[in-house]
Amino acid sequence: MARSNEVNLNECKMVVPLNTWVLISNFKLAYNLLRRPDGTFNRHLAEFLDRKVPANANPVDGVFSFDVLIDRGTSLLSRIYRPATAEEPQPNVAELEKPVTAEVVPVIIFFHGGSFAHSSANSAIYDTLCRRLVGLCKAVVLSVNYRRAPENRYPCAYDDGWTALKWVNSRPWLQSQKDSKVHIYLAGDSSGGNIVHHVALRAMESGTHVLGNILLNPMFGGQERTESEQRLDGKYFVTLRDRDWYWRAYLPEGEDRDHHACNPFGPNGRSLEGIKFPKSLVVVAGLDLIQDWQLAYVEGLKKADQEVKLLYMEQATIGFYLLPNNNHFHTVMDEISKFVGSDC
Amino acid sequence: MKRDHNHLQPNSDPSYSLCGSSSTGKAKLWEEEAAEQDCGMDEDLAVLGYKVKTSDMVEVAQKLEQLDEIMCSVQDDGISHLAFETVHYNPSDMSTYLESMLSELIPPTFDPFGPSGTTAVAAPLTGALDDSFLGTAESSTLTTLDFESNNRKHKKSGKQIFEESSCSDYDLKAIPGKAIYSQSSQTQIHDSSSTSTHNNFKSEKRLKSTSGSHSDIFSPPPPASYGIPTDSIRPVVLVDSQENGIRLVHALMACAEGVQQNNLNLAEALVRQIGFLAISQAGAMRKVATYFAEALARRIYRLYPQNPLDHSLSDVLHIHFYEACPYLKFAHFTANQAILEAFEGKKRVHVIDFSMNQGMQWPALMQALALRAGGPPAFRLTGIGPPSHDNSDHLQEVGWKLAQLAETIHVEFEYRGFVANSLADLDASMLDLRPSEVEAVAVNSVFELHKLLARPGGIDKVFSVVEQMKPEIVTIVEQEANHNGPVFLDRFTESLHYYSTLFDSLEGSASGQDKVMSEVYLGKQICNVVACEGVDRTERHESSTQWRNRLVSAGFSPVHLGSNAFKQAGMLLALFAGGDGYGVEESSGCLMLGWHKRPLITTSAWKAANYSSSPPPLPTEFRRVD
Repeated sequence: MARSNEVNLNECKMVVPLNTWVLISNFKLAYNLLRRPDGTFNRHLAEFLDRKVPANANPVDGVFSFDVLIDRGTSLLSRIYRPATAEEPQPNVAELEKPVTAEVVPVIIFFHGGSFAHSSANSAIYDTLCRRLVGLCKAVVLSVNYRRAPENRYPCAYDDGWTALKWVNSRPWLQSQKDSKVHIYLAGDSSGGNIVHHVALRAMESGTHVLGNILLNPMFGGQERTESEQRLDGKYFVTLRDRDWYWRAYLPEGEDRDHHACNPFGPNGRSLEGIKFPKSLVVVAGLDLIQDWQLAYVEGLKKADQEVKLLYMEQATIGFYLLPNNNHFHTVMDEISKFVGSDC
Repeated sequence: MKRDHNHLQPNSDPSYSLCGSSSTGKAKLWEEEAAEQDCGMDEDLAVLGYKVKTSDMVEVAQKLEQLDEIMCSVQDDGISHLAFETVHYNPSDMSTYLESMLSELIPPTFDPFGPSGTTAVAAPLTGALDDSFLGTAESSTLTTLDFESNNRKHKKSGKQIFEESSCSDYDLKAIPGKAIYSQSSQTQIHDSSSTSTHNNFKSEKRLKSTSGSHSDIFSPPPPASYGIPTDSIRPVVLVDSQENGIRLVHALMACAEGVQQNNLNLAEALVRQIGFLAISQAGAMRKVATYFAEALARRIYRLYPQNPLDHSLSDVLHIHFYEACPYLKFAHFTANQAILEAFEGKKRVHVIDFSMNQGMQWPALMQALALRAGGPPAFRLTGIGPPSHDNSDHLQEVGWKLAQLAETIHVEFEYRGFVANSLADLDASMLDLRPSEVEAVAVNSVFELHKLLARPGGIDKVFSVVEQMKPEIVTIVEQEANHNGPVFLDRFTESLHYYSTLFDSLEGSASGQDKVMSEVYLGKQICNVVACEGVDRTERHESSTQWRNRLVSAGFSPVHLGSNAFKQAGMLLALFAGGDGYGVEESSGCLMLGWHKRPLITTSAWKAANYSSSPPPLPTEFRRVD
C-alpha cells in the first residue's frame, strides 16, 4: 500500500509544476484533517487554515473589490470586483456602485469551489481567480459566499446562488448601456460548477435570462462507480472516499448520489429538452477522477439540444486554473474570454 | 509583471529576518534586490497566501510527501489528534508548519502522564522552541466554553455544529472560565492554603507629566507621527444599499472634501444638508452620519472637543462597550491566551497593563492561573491609567476588587497602580522590576499604543521601556484601520467606512443602554479622528502591517497565536456576539475580529528579538530524549 502510494506521488509530481504540487498537496493534507469519519467537519480549524484576503477598494493591477451584504437573514455576503478605468484610476469610495458605462458589460456571478464544504469568497485562491476574470473578460465579477456543508446542506448553496442572481439582476448600476439589462454569466469551479447548473435551472424556470454557464471541473457524481473513478482513485490528489464524504455532507440525509443535485442527468434528473438553457462551457481535467460524470453532463446537455462546448484538458489535474504556470491555464482563460466576449 | 503582494497579504510578515537592516553599500544593494524578489519567495504561492522560498520548494514537497505517507499508513483515528489536540500556528509559513506537524507525529518514547499527557511532555523535550513550536491544547487553553450555540445561520440544520466529543463537559458559567490541561478529567482548584494570599498595595504613584504643553514646539508634527507609509488596503463592506444611505455618504464625502480644500462655505452648507438627510435615514447609517457630521461641524467652526475626556465618564462608556459587543471580550480573551501560554512553567508572574481601565481583562486570567496544573503562580499586576478628574483613586479601587477575587481563588496577588498622562512618561525603573529568572513579565496594551503616535518619540520611548522590562510576551490589541495617514480626506473616508461597519455590528446588540453608550463611546473616537489635529488627535489607528513594521524595527519579533486561541475566540463569539456577521481570521500569527469579513481589531503578540527566557526547570525524573 505504501509502495503504490509512492508511485502515485511520483506520477503526480511529473504532471504538474512543483509549486502547484505543493499547493494542492497542502490542501489535500489540510482537508484530510478537517473531514471526520462521522461526517462532521472541523470548521474552526478549516477557517484557521484557510488563507484569506480582505476586499480592497484601492485598485491593484487595475482591479478593485468591495463586499456587499446581499441578505442579512442568511448573512449572505458577496465580493464584487470591478475594473478601474483610465478615467478613474482611483475610484471614489463613495461610488463603489457607480453605474457601469460600457455598451456591454458582462457580469459574471462566480461560485467558488471547495466541494461544498471548503473555502470562501475571500479565500486567497478565489480572490485571485476572480481578479483575473475581470481583466480577462472586461467584466464585473461577483463572488458569492454561499453557505457550506455539512452545516448547511442542499439546497442552501443553490438558494444563496439564486438570491445572488436575483440581486444582480435587479441592480440598475450593473445594466449594460446597450439594452439596460444586466448581462449575466454564471461561473464556478468544482462545487461551484455544480451550483452554476442548478442556479441556471432556477433562472430558466423563472424567466431570468442567463447568457452563459462556465463550469470548471464541475462536481458531479452518481451511485455507479465509473471507469475513471476506479482508474484514477487516489492518483492525482483526490480519492473516491473523499468525494463520497462531501456528497454525504451536502446531500439531504438518507439520499444517495443519484439525487438530482449530484447527478442531474441521472435516474432522478430532469430533462432539459425544450428548455432554453444558457450555452455552456465545460472544462474537464483529464486527470480528474470524476471526469466520466462531467462528460456525462456534457452529453446530457447535447442530448437536450443545448449549446455546449467541451474543453478536455488531457494532462490537467484538479486546481490547474489556480496558478498561471501551465498551458492548460492559458488555454482555458482564452476560451473563457471568447465565451464571454462573444455576445455583443 | 510586477506583483504587488501587499494588496493580498495585508498582514504578511516582511522577510525581515533575511533582508536584514544592513546599510553598507553592497549589502544594501543585495538587500534591495532580494527585497524585490521578495527574498526568493515563490511569487505564485505568495499571492495565494503561502510563504515558501523557491529554494525550499523541494524540501517542502518532501515534507508533504512524508506526511502523506504517514497519513496513508495509519487508521482514521490515528491522525485525529492532529486535528483535535494539536495546536496549529501560522499556516502561511508552510515549511515551518509542516515541520511542526511532522514532529507532532513522531511518537514519543515515554509517557509519564498516560495517554493524554504525552504530547505535552514530549514537546518541550524535543527542543523545538521557535515561533512555530507546537503546543498542545492541554496546557494552553484558557477557557473552554460549551459550544451549544444559537447561531442563527445554522438554525436550519438544527444540530450541533462544532461537534467534538471531547468537549462536552465544560460549563457555560465558567466565563471567565477554567483552564483545561487534561481534556478528559475535571480539575481541582489547587489548594494553596499553605501560602497566604498576599495582597500588597503600593500607593498609587502619580507621575508628573513631562510632556505638558509642548504644542508650540511640536506643531506641525513631524512625519513620524503620521505613520509608516505602506501600500494600504482599503477593505469596504457595504451593508446598507438604501438610496438615502448612498446620498448621505456622498454628502459626507463632499463635505470632507470641502474641508480638505479649505472651502469652508461649501463644507458648511453640506454639513447642514447632511443633517436633513440623516434624519430620513434609519439605523446605523443615521447614527454614524450624525457623529461624522458633528465632527465635521466642529472642525469647520473650530469648536474642538474638550480633551482629555472626563475619566469617570469614559470608564462608564468603556464598560458599556464591553457589554454591548464582543470586541473587548475578544481582545482580552486572545491576549490572555497568549499570556497564559507564555507564563507556562513560571512560578512568579508579573503583568504590566497599559490599559488598566476597570481591570476587566484580569479576572479571567487569574482564574485560569488558579486552575493551572501544579498550582497558580504568584501573580503581580501593575495597572497603568490616566488620572481621574475628581481625585478618586480609581486604580486603587480596581486593585482592591481584584485582590478580593485573588483571595477567593487562592492566588497570591500583588498590585500596584500607576497614574500617568501618557505611557511615554513611564520609565522601567519606576516599576520595581524583579530579575527575569525570578519573575516573568507580560506587557499588555489594548487600544492604547496608537495614542502615542500623537507626539514624536512617544512610541519609541515606550518600546524601549518595554524592552527594558524583559517581557516574556507583549500583547497588543489595536484597531485594524488606517486612520493616521497624512491626508485628511483619506482619514475621513477610511474612518467613515470603519465606523459604519462597527455601528452596523452594534445594531444586533441586545441591551438598549449598552448599545446607546457604546455608540457614544465610538462617537468620541470619530470626533477625535475627524475634528482634532496635532497632539490632540490621539485616535491614530494604524493597520497591523504598519504596527508590525514598527515593532520589528524596534527589535521585537512575533509570537504566533494559534488554532486553539482561534477556536476559543470563535466559540466565544458564538456565545456572546449579538450578530451573525462576526468572524475571526488568522493572518501571520495574529488574530483579527471582523464584521462581515471586514477585519476591525487585531490581537498580536511579541517578544524582544534578542531575548530568550530561562527555560522552565525540567522535573528531575525526565531525561532528554532525542
